[in-house]
Amino acid sequence: MKMPEVADTEQLPVPQARTGEPAAWDALFRRYQWPIYVYIFELVRDEQASLDLVQETFIASVKHIGTLRDDAKFGSWLFGIARQKCIQRSRKRIEILSEDIPEMPDEIEAGPDDLLIRQEQEAGFMNLLNQLPPLQRSVLLLHFVEDFSLEEIAEITGAQLGTVKSRLHYAKKSLRKLLEAKNENAA
Amino acid sequence: MKTPRELLFARHQAVAPKLDAIRQSTVSAMVGGGLVADEIPGRCSLTLWQTLRHELYLPSRRIWSGLAAIWLLIFAVNLAQHDRVPAVNAAAAPPMMSFREQQRWINELFADRAPSTEAEPPKTIPPKPRAGIYLSRTV
Repeated sequence: MKMPEVADTEQLPVPQARTGEPAAWDALFRRYQWPIYVYIFELVRDEQASLDLVQETFIASVKHIGTLRDDAKFGSWLFGIARQKCIQRSRKRIEILSEDIPEMPDEIEAGPDDLLIRQEQEAGFMNLLNQLPPLQRSVLLLHFVEDFSLEEIAEITGAQLGTVKSRLHYAKKSLRKLLEAKNENAA
Repeated sequence: MKTPRELLFARHQAVAPKLDAIRQSTVSAMVGGGLVADEIPGRCSLTLWQTLRHELYLPSRRIWSGLAAIWLLIFAVNLAQHDRVPAVNAAAAPPMMSFREQQRWINELFADRAPSTEAEPPKTIPPKPRAGIYLSRTV
């Protein structure tokens, strides 16, 4: 399966999907099935549960397409549904929401590809990703998987823009630190 | 070297057939009519009343409800006062006479002062010649 292109939202047949065209929905699901699965799996860490949640997300999107206000925001809307499904499943919403939020940094965030991982670091990277707190991991995944803007991530997660910025900053900082430490150890 | 995105997607490539199956089953459910979008009233189908309700009332429903309550209160107070005023007047003022009774009473009152049937003719003063006026002044 080919990795889907990011930010190719103008070509998406959302207006046709609104009218209930199965072909349009097929195209939309084809575009998002993999990113949605990656996002869900990295949050719940269970393949079967992730597949179930992907299906639930698809069904909910068909049922509630009327609530989508802006066609261009279909992707972030779908990820928002997926996130809600994860929260409903894990029933750890209170724990997630009670996470401490550090102060907002002043520096501007770089793009999702500013972190480059060597082959020998790959396994370590995934371990490091799993060690991050759930909210930081969620924000970082949205940033990596779909290159969502900070505003879109704020919409998906229902958090303030400053909070999202802060979480992303600290998540990337933690990853970078861990990767550097691993490099030093390897050297 | 890989980006985190590439790494994440590469890690889950094996699940692709299962995702395809999920997609196909969801789309088939749509084709079979088992999965349809929930009915949400579109703007076109809204009546004027519903549009007004959505655009005008619902955004500030507390303010509108407060205003309505105040108006109802004012109306109720006004109505209560309106009911009380005639009752007070009825207790304080003597009973009113009927129109015919009043008419009869007025007729009796003014019967003595009824004007004479023959009116006095107006006094006529014969005009004097202008010359006569002049003479009377000079003399």
